[in-house]
Amino acid sequence: MTESFKRSAGRKVLSRSSAKELGSVSHLLVDAQQRRIAAVVIGRGKKAKLVDWEQLSGFGPDAVMVVDEGALRPPADEREQAATEGKLELVGKRALSEGGTELGKLDDVTFDTDTGALEELLIGDRHVQAGALMGSGSYAAVLDDSEVPSP
Amino acid sequence: MRLLMTASQIRGLPVVTVRGGEDVAEVRDVIFSPEAGRLVGVTLNKRGFLAGRSRDVLPAEAIHAVGQHAVMVLDASSLIAPGDAPDDVAHPAVERNVIGDDVLTEGGSSLGKVTDLVLLVGSSGEVVGYQIEKTGGGRGYIPLPAQLAVSGAALVVPNITEEFVKDDLVGLGASVDEFRARLGLS
Repeated sequence: MTESFKRSAGRKVLSRSSAKELGSVSHLLVDAQQRRIAAVVIGRGKKAKLVDWEQLSGFGPDAVMVVDEGALRPPADEREQAATEGKLELVGKRALSEGGTELGKLDDVTFDTDTGALEELLIGDRHVQAGALMGSGSYAAVLDDSEVPSP
Repeated sequence: MRLLMTASQIRGLPVVTVRGGEDVAEVRDVIFSPEAGRLVGVTLNKRGFLAGRSRDVLPAEAIHAVGQHAVMVLDASSLIAPGDAPDDVAHPAVERNVIGDDVLTEGGSSLGKVTDLVLLVGSSGEVVGYQIEKTGGGRGYIPLPAQLAVSGAALVVPNITEEFVKDDLVGLGASVDEFRARLGLS
């Protein structure tokens, strides 16, 4: 099923094994090279935890299910730390072409809830295939502009 | 039609990694080789809280693209210490600066004085023209042949350059290819 970053923000996260509520989705950390979601960030700031995509039993319309609450972990590196601080949020991020031209802002990103693979990037009313994504960080999402339709 | 920008417009642009989407530095100044007709690199300032001069430099070979809103590099390893950089990047010669030089045609007419460099947007720093203060007054833009004589005080351009003095970058962008074709350059 296709889901969007915007719609999934704030979704409840529950443990499948204990049925306990663990928090809510604050951020989806993307692996730009693989064009997929690497991890879900639960909560913000110092108490934020990550859960790797492989540790989900389901990304549903009403809740995100984690196999076990033991799968929650603190940020492991600088990039994950930045993610817990909300610096890597793709929605609202500046979209920059590989050639150094600003294309607008990313309004939303869609993905496949089965695989975590990114599907489309939305810039205004332009739909860009996720394959155009070359990198993303705190400053910008960098896109191959040959795959971006003109405004 | 070529999209062009001046070197002044590049100063202050963020240096952004293609693979990381991070702004790793910003452009302090460009280092130009008039003989080669291209940038040899850029000097850098730090971004954010640490703002100020950076020791690192960015050689032109490591520039992925010079854009209107950012200078793109593949990753942060493109920024290198001056000791690891080619000599013309680490220690740019002062006489390399063409700003203020007189532009003379081979026939001996003065077209004006160089006020800025004009670069091809999207390239790794190809300089395709100069902005000049015209001899008769006012700002103009002239295309550059690939090779030309430069002395440090004056530079010599082909006679036909006089026909290609434009009032703006758009005009120059539209005529660069025709100019080069007339000279048999490309």
